[in-house]
Amino acid sequence: MVVKNCLLLCPVFVSAVSHSQITRLYSRFTSLDKGENGTLSREDFQRIPELAINPLGDRIINAFFPEGEDQVNFRGFMRTLAHFRPIEDNEKNKNPPTSEPLNSRTNKLLFAFRLYDLDRDDKISRDELLQVLRMMVGVNISDEQLGSIADRTIQEADTNGDNSISFSEFIKADDQRHERTWKHRLDTHIVTYVTAGVTNAGSTGTR
Amino acid sequence: QQQQQPRALCSSSSSSSSSSSSSSGLDLVLNMASPDASGINRTRGNRTLTPEEEEDSQQHHNNTKAFPVLSFNFEHVRKPFEISLWILLALLMKLGFHLIPRVSHIVPESCLLIVVGLLVGGVIKALDSDASDTNSSVPVLNTKLFFLYLLPPIILDAGYFLPIRHFTENLGTILMFAVVGTLWNAFFIGGMMYGVCQIEAAQLGDVDLLSCLLFGSIISAVDPVAVLAVFEEIHINELLYILVFGESLLNDAVTVVLYHLFEEFSHAGTVTITDAFLGVICFFVVSLGGVMIGLIYGIVGAFTSRFTLHSRVIEPLFVFLYSYMAYLSAEVFHLSGIMSLIACGVAMRPYVEANISHKSYTTIKYFMKMWSSVSETLIFIFLGVSTVAGPHVWNWTFVIFTVILCLVSRVLGVVGLTFIINKFRIVKLTKKDQFIVAYGGLRGAIAFSLGFLLTDTHMKTMFLTAIITVIFFTVFVQGMTIRPLVELLAVKKKKETKRSINEEIHTQFLDHLLTGIEDVCGHYGHHHWKDKLNRFNKTYVKKCLISGERSTEPQLISFYNKMELRQAMMLVESGSLAVLPSLTSMQNIQPRDTVKQRVIPSISKRREEEIRKMLRSNLQKTRQRLRSYSRHDLMMDPFEEDLSEVKFRKQRVEMGRRMSHYLTVPANRQETQIPHLRKVNFEPEHQVFTYDDGKGDGGSSAPTNPSPPLVIRHLNETNQVNSPGGGNDAEDPHGGEEQPRLARFLSDPGPKEEEEEHLGGCLNCSVSSFVY
Repeated sequence: MVVKNCLLLCPVFVSAVSHSQITRLYSRFTSLDKGENGTLSREDFQRIPELAINPLGDRIINAFFPEGEDQVNFRGFMRTLAHFRPIEDNEKNKNPPTSEPLNSRTNKLLFAFRLYDLDRDDKISRDELLQVLRMMVGVNISDEQLGSIADRTIQEADTNGDNSISFSEFIKADDQRHERTWKHRLDTHIVTYVTAGVTNAGSTGTR
Repeated sequence: QQQQQPRALCSSSSSSSSSSSSSSGLDLVLNMASPDASGINRTRGNRTLTPEEEEDSQQHHNNTKAFPVLSFNFEHVRKPFEISLWILLALLMKLGFHLIPRVSHIVPESCLLIVVGLLVGGVIKALDSDASDTNSSVPVLNTKLFFLYLLPPIILDAGYFLPIRHFTENLGTILMFAVVGTLWNAFFIGGMMYGVCQIEAAQLGDVDLLSCLLFGSIISAVDPVAVLAVFEEIHINELLYILVFGESLLNDAVTVVLYHLFEEFSHAGTVTITDAFLGVICFFVVSLGGVMIGLIYGIVGAFTSRFTLHSRVIEPLFVFLYSYMAYLSAEVFHLSGIMSLIACGVAMRPYVEANISHKSYTTIKYFMKMWSSVSETLIFIFLGVSTVAGPHVWNWTFVIFTVILCLVSRVLGVVGLTFIINKFRIVKLTKKDQFIVAYGGLRGAIAFSLGFLLTDTHMKTMFLTAIITVIFFTVFVQGMTIRPLVELLAVKKKKETKRSINEEIHTQFLDHLLTGIEDVCGHYGHHHWKDKLNRFNKTYVKKCLISGERSTEPQLISFYNKMELRQAMMLVESGSLAVLPSLTSMQNIQPRDTVKQRVIPSISKRREEEIRKMLRSNLQKTRQRLRSYSRHDLMMDPFEEDLSEVKFRKQRVEMGRRMSHYLTVPANRQETQIPHLRKVNFEPEHQVFTYDDGKGDGGSSAPTNPSPPLVIRHLNETNQVNSPGGGNDAEDPHGGEEQPRLARFLSDPGPKEEEEEHLGGCLNCSVSSFVY
């Protein structure tokens, strides 16, 4: 189990700092939980005003829910957020042998990729890209123009000529050009030490 | 006074003016009233005569009997002439360095320029000492000249093209280095220097603590000009670049305050707690006040650019003038002019760029680069000249300790501050980074100019000598070794890549994602506030400051348009269509062609051939058009108008109507020739649009009148089509997006023969502008 491995690999993070972080996130979790049943529903998320105006709001909310489920508990909540924990230097050196932690670069990118890839066929098709573009630019742009942008984007990244962007192309496109941009942009401060939170939540959950 | 025959005169005047720049300072002012009109024109072309001068010559004419055909008056033009000579010298030097590739690779340009300055200063001094003993005629880096004329272009260039994203993301670190680091440097150097001065053997007993602190505050600031000159050449990665460069820009406020504070105190002699407290307040006033003034001018500038649609040629000037005004206004109140200038540039840029034409944008870019590079060159040359010119007091102890303390305090400051900063940073600064940041702390002309402003004492000359030594040490030793060190340490270099559409989309995507995640976590961080600001910008500010439909244009779309435009420009510059396939868009346009062909099968092979022929025969014409001259406007910019599809359709319908009107009335077709294209620009737009074809008196109205609207229509038409496809369609006129349009044109009902011909012309027009 991914969470367990993390626990084993990074004992450093079970510290006072991580506890305060977890506490903060837990209190956030409970304040979002209007039903007070220990889980969050989609409506709970949609009640966040900023998220409601976020063009990607719905997709972000969906990312919290495992397929086919309507509820997410604190553990699942933290698991999603754990993707955003920055990569620590001392973690890099340890080179996890069994499985990658959730906040590894590949997993971060995979998380972003999944937000594009709605049908989960591991490809971003033209339609999927168009949907994302439409969400981001709003309604006052003609379909043709947006289509040409989408075409251009796919052309740029597509190397095997299947007219869609696969995950490897997705990584490569950014790898070559903007290593820095990608590597660090997915890190946010808020979720520092969240993996520790996941491990804790995980262990309490299994107990 | 010499008298010569007019013809000989003309030849002598032209030859002398061409050779005078390189040889002596000989200058001829010709007061000539000979009947030879061409001679007059010639002289006026070379030298513009001021009214006084002409009056002068008239009086001359009245008083003396023999009319002076040739007179000599160098004093009259001395100043501008000397300035031009200096600039010319600087530019020739710059040119020369790049002709010797090996030298320019090892030694930074700034070093070479200083050396040139030293040589020139030496020559002037040697020549001058023969004539008179005073060294006043050797030009020095005048403080007023420096701060009012030489510095602003460099800062404006830096501020306008500041990589804003990197800057804001690292703002905390930059501010930390700029404010705390500079304060630390100033006080550490000042304090330690006072300690050094207490040493008996150094004979520096007369230097008091406040003077030392004043000296420390002058010498502590990292100089943007020097940093730019060196860092531009070593192509270091963006993070390090923005850290060092951002620091050098933002420490201006600290330097200004500290300088004024200590200067005041060193006159008064005492410092109280209140003074120190006022100093802190002063710092906030100076920095924030400067930023405020800059923002105000920036917003006003953006607002002005909203209305420049009909006078495109003066657009660039607005940018320069508002920025310069911001700088001067800040200097009026002794606020930080540098911060004001940067704030102005940063605030103005996104809106101005949306408003102005692409040509104006290019002009702005080139002028800024040109001015800043001229200024930079002059600054370094003058630095060298002033070194030779000025009096020096060389005190070994003082100079050596200054250099050592500068290095030590910089290293300590950077290491100490990084230790604190790294606790808050996501991307930690590594040891290598710290080293480069510390090593990149170059001092430069700002320190020298501030030192020059001090009141004249023995101490001033000693300080100036020390300052010059530090500048030379940092620029020569550090500037020359930083490139090998960067390579030795394998510091990540900047990757020379253009921004791709993928990056733009994913970056925006991630921004939204991270904002969303922060919101879920209930954390109001960097992304949250940025998102708020963006929203505010989109809903209110853009509407006010950007004219037309561009105000509602999403960032992604404008980015895409810009990218397409750039590619089209590359096409033009490369000059041949053969280069096309190397572009990504060309490679991939083929699959879509097949789809289009299925949709519109109505073009026969014969038609295709015809169209191709038209294209081929008319491609040349654009070139000719570009060359034609107009004082007020350049070639109409094919990308200026907004590109929305709706507008395009509407205009095509309108054009069709107008065209049928013209074709029924015998309009003089010769009139649709090139010269009118430019004239049309002056006519108010509405006049062009509201041309009433219901009147049907096209024959009676002047034949020149109806043709311009037609032409402008054509051009507009092409503008619309040009944008989405970019340069793609030029090579492949029968495929891609061109095809439906052609089909429509060719299937248009109407007077067969004439229509065909006219459409041909129209097509030529549109197609040729593709290539453009």
